[in-house]
Amino acid sequence: MADPQALSEDEFRKLCEFVYRRTGMVFTEPKRYYLERRVFERMTATGSGTFASYFARLRQDVQHEIEHFVNAFTVNETYFYREDHQLRCLTTDLLPERIAVKGKAAPIRIWSVPCSTGEEPYSVAMWLLENWPLVDEHEIEILGSDIDTQALEAARDGIFGKRALMRLPADLVAKYFTAIDDERWRILEDLRDSVRFSTVNIVEQGETRPHGGFDVIFCRNVLIYFDDASRRMAAENLFENLLPGGFICLGHTESMSRISPLFQVRRFADAIVYQRPTRVTQDG
Amino acid sequence: MPLVRKPVDRAAAENPDAAAVLQALGSNDADERWAAARAAAQVSGGATALIRALQRERDANVREAMLTSLARIGSDESVEGLLSLLRSDDANSRTGALDALRSMTGLQRDLLPRLLQDADNDVRILSCELVRALPSDEATDHLCALLTRERDVNVCAAAIDVLTEVGTAAALPVLQQCGERFRDTPFLAFAIEVATDRITAESTRRG
Amino acid sequence: MADRKTVLVVDDASLVRLYYRSTLEKAGFEVEEAMNGLEALEKVLTTSVDMLIVDVNMPQMDGFSFLEALRQKEGAVGGIPALVTSTESAAADFAAARAAGANFYLVKPIDQATLVDFAAMFCGVSR
Repeated sequence: MADPQALSEDEFRKLCEFVYRRTGMVFTEPKRYYLERRVFERMTATGSGTFASYFARLRQDVQHEIEHFVNAFTVNETYFYREDHQLRCLTTDLLPERIAVKGKAAPIRIWSVPCSTGEEPYSVAMWLLENWPLVDEHEIEILGSDIDTQALEAARDGIFGKRALMRLPADLVAKYFTAIDDERWRILEDLRDSVRFSTVNIVEQGETRPHGGFDVIFCRNVLIYFDDASRRMAAENLFENLLPGGFICLGHTESMSRISPLFQVRRFADAIVYQRPTRVTQDG
Repeated sequence: MPLVRKPVDRAAAENPDAAAVLQALGSNDADERWAAARAAAQVSGGATALIRALQRERDANVREAMLTSLARIGSDESVEGLLSLLRSDDANSRTGALDALRSMTGLQRDLLPRLLQDADNDVRILSCELVRALPSDEATDHLCALLTRERDVNVCAAAIDVLTEVGTAAALPVLQQCGERFRDTPFLAFAIEVATDRITAESTRRG
Repeated sequence: MADRKTVLVVDDASLVRLYYRSTLEKAGFEVEEAMNGLEALEKVLTTSVDMLIVDVNMPQMDGFSFLEALRQKEGAVGGIPALVTSTESAAADFAAARAAGANFYLVKPIDQATLVDFAAMFCGVSR
């Protein structure tokens, strides 16, 4: 296997500037080695002979190249308790704010979209049971939705392998899962029953609207990869699916500054989240 | 266990009543105007009504929805509406219009020659941004044509900024000439130097 | 020994940000960047900023809208001094900048000496 190419200073800067503009991610000198490796991997995968030809491909997002390239830096495999700082923020800050507004008048509704094979919504359920003192005092609905029907089937089955469980302490695995064999665990039926799954294409208002209003939406590592037109539609759809004052959480390398101006940024101890404004018009 | 399944709310099948939608664009309730703005993309007369509504809409989010709908409609009328917002004295309108135009891929090819020659400096500056979406050769052609005739410093700066990302070797002679024309403007000299370096960037082999 | 002052440069043109960065860093300032008003609003929440240089035309949120939103924030963040830069030199644009909450307004391109002078002035640093 050939040695990875070193990018010249100008190539490195060109790449960094493009990725920054497009995604908001900042790459600095310490990350340079990883970036070069990634570029080389993608150049090989796409049959690009030079950085210039690869960059042209990246720029035009040929066959979703931006997603392929950036994926490596978002550690995009799904597992339980991924981005647990957002789960901490959920119980420490987001839910208390929502309850202060609505009390027990209506259930707390949380949406994980896309939910893929279910790790994220099940994580929310487990986290609430383990970490939210008020979990028995409030009605909670957790929905997981995805465009991939096969992933949803797997999510409903609730069977997971070692990698998916790698961030969970052993006592939680023992508490919430049953081992099927050495390699697979099934999440308890009570938890499987506590999450409802549905199909959705978030770009289609006709599909998102029936899901109703949520207090918290987790929408990680998908909006940033859409083209401009789809991003606008998805952002507006998700805005409609948020109750006024509701929160939307993105992937930790994503920023609404590259996605949509509809939401207001809120900084909490554990996470930056975005909020649908409460019902006050912003008349100029 | 308190975690409970609930049936999905079923939304009523909707075929927007055009007259109601267009009227709701003027509602006192921002939520109604928002919903109408989104629905207006699919009713006849939508573009005309949206353009008119944008002249007085003050809620930033409702404006955003209106602009998205205009972009989705994509008719000549909606494009002209967006272009007139691009010429606005109001920065917010210019930004909104540019973002909406940017989302209309395929449109840029038809519009760009005209926009890059617009009498308004700001329009030419903003239009350089639209060039970014094009393939490198095309983008370079547009920006070089602009730079060859451009007299405004800030328009040149905008074009050069885009060229640092998209420019091919074809841009180098034009950049050099531009540098000579504006040799007394330090920022442009800097910009041209960086653009030249980025365009001629080449990998080195490790080891 | 005083801490270095931090300038947040808000401009969607990468070359402008690069130019200001190299100029200000040489003059002893820390530099942060944002490429539109939304990113700038996030940045001021997570980073201590002594001064803003804000362009007007940017995607997602223009400079005036950003300043208006900033000035509504409570505490020190809402009062961060802001130099607005623009391509327009008409009196109406000065007025708009003032109304949005700018402390000063300069027409681009800005030369390096002016940039450093203004940064020093707004950050309360002697030259």
